[in-house]
Amino acid sequence: MGSIRSLFSRQYEINQAVRDFSVQIEPGEIIGLLGPNGAGKTTLMKMFTGIIVPSSGSLEVLGFDPWSRSKNFRRKIALVMGQKSQLWWDIPAMDSLRLLKAYYEVEEKDFKQRVEELSSFLEVKNLLHVQIRKLSLGERMKLELMACLLHRPEVIFLDEPTIGLDLIAQKGIRQFMKEYHQQHRPTIILTSHYMADVAALCSHIVLILQGQKRYDGTIVDFERILGREKIVTFQFSEPVVSDDSCFRNFESIWNGGGTEVEIKIPEEKLREVSKEILQRYPVVDFHTEKIPIERVMETLWANPELIPPTTR
Amino acid sequence: MKSFFEMWGRTMEVKWSNLMTYRLNFFLQVFGPALVFFFIKYNLWSSIYGANPTAVIQGYDFQAMIAYQVWVLVIQLLGQGNDSMNLSEDIRLGRISSYLIYPFDFWKFHTAGFLAFQGMQFLLCTVLLCSVLAMGFLANLHFNALLQGVILTLLVGGLWFTLQYLVGLMAFWLEETWILRVILIIVAQFLSGAILPLELYPKWVQSALLYTPFPYLTYLPARVFMGDSGLFLSSLLVVGFWTLIMAGICTLVWKRGLRLYTAAGM
Repeated sequence: MGSIRSLFSRQYEINQAVRDFSVQIEPGEIIGLLGPNGAGKTTLMKMFTGIIVPSSGSLEVLGFDPWSRSKNFRRKIALVMGQKSQLWWDIPAMDSLRLLKAYYEVEEKDFKQRVEELSSFLEVKNLLHVQIRKLSLGERMKLELMACLLHRPEVIFLDEPTIGLDLIAQKGIRQFMKEYHQQHRPTIILTSHYMADVAALCSHIVLILQGQKRYDGTIVDFERILGREKIVTFQFSEPVVSDDSCFRNFESIWNGGGTEVEIKIPEEKLREVSKEILQRYPVVDFHTEKIPIERVMETLWANPELIPPTTR
Repeated sequence: MKSFFEMWGRTMEVKWSNLMTYRLNFFLQVFGPALVFFFIKYNLWSSIYGANPTAVIQGYDFQAMIAYQVWVLVIQLLGQGNDSMNLSEDIRLGRISSYLIYPFDFWKFHTAGFLAFQGMQFLLCTVLLCSVLAMGFLANLHFNALLQGVILTLLVGGLWFTLQYLVGLMAFWLEETWILRVILIIVAQFLSGAILPLELYPKWVQSALLYTPFPYLTYLPARVFMGDSGLFLSSLLVVGFWTLIMAGICTLVWKRGLRLYTAAGM
């Protein structure tokens, strides 16, 4: 019945993908847009690149209004979409690169030099004459990056560039982008669900939740939102009593046999608590780490009220 | 200027590469429907005239009717081969996002693709025409009529492209545009004279149709090919007029549609 009724009368719900959002990005910066699925990251990317038009507000990229889509603006930006191939599926990458060379009016000499340089670095020289549809996801992504960098864009938008790639491929792409940035200093706006991408590349991050900006600042400050605490893991030669105050007071997580514990110690108490445990228990090994950014992110997604208002 | 030609030339090259990747698909797409349709019509008119081979129907004897249908086949191959399938898919699947970022506009990309397709069709059509001539289907062919017919048909190709482009742009509003495409093709077949010469329609229908672009898609170019050179210049002007009108509508529809575009799947 519902289907028949919907033929004549439908109810629509309007959701605002992004609202009350403002951000300032400095030239040469690498900024990470973070947030869960549906937070509005990709919508922002579409607005920044002029693909969609914001219903209100103003936006300026490199001094241009992206929505006017002037040719000068389009020549200065590049977009890589991890979930969507921009290279022509049925033709070899070199043909696509030649087409892009024509679109961006790259000189033949520069084209040859850039293809040589990028293909060597990305290790795709032998793939340039293979049809795109015959390549693996990782190989294709390297060629997508190559295509987007051919015209030396001033601003690069990377929308989940490592999605679906294996760990080695992810690492390779990260390394490449890092070195490329050091060499040419473009502004990079990155969205990724992999915190390793963000940690490796970004100094500045913006957290978006339900279309609103919830954090805008350095990655170092972001990691400290939950406090300056360290995660310390101790391993013991035999099972120990777990209700001691030096474990109980520090959110201890035990393994099944009582031979390993992970505790969260405030930075200022690290020496004192560690010393006490080392003296009183048969410790065979221990190591310290700061709270992983993934854990900070998970906690803040679940409890956005923990984010101080001054960081927005 | 060099970069202008390089942009258009490279885009056409990519289109050719794409077309040639799937050769069988290409030949089926180009020749399949038009040839099948021609043989159906050939058999139909053979049966109709079979009972009375000297009959003349509205000025057409059997020879003239078959010649008309051959020219219809040529016009369909040369001027109406392009379809809007890729265009509507690009919009529906969010693929136009890339084109919105490249400094080469979306319409230019599709127009270059159309020109590449047209170039390929032209070569194939020349081969077909030579074969038809060798088979003796076209007894009274004059070079002037052929030249005028080809020029008019190439312009008709432009009009057909804008019509198809407009249908493709409907993908901004519709999930699927194939039904619109089918309706356009069927209506155009009936009203353009692709099935029957327009002389076989009632007079008032013929007069009414002249106010629409349809007769200019098939009937009038076929008459020009058959030697009615008096129709050439007026047809050329009217086809040019309709092409400009349709191109203007396409521009407006593109601007409106783009505001609705959400780049789904990105």
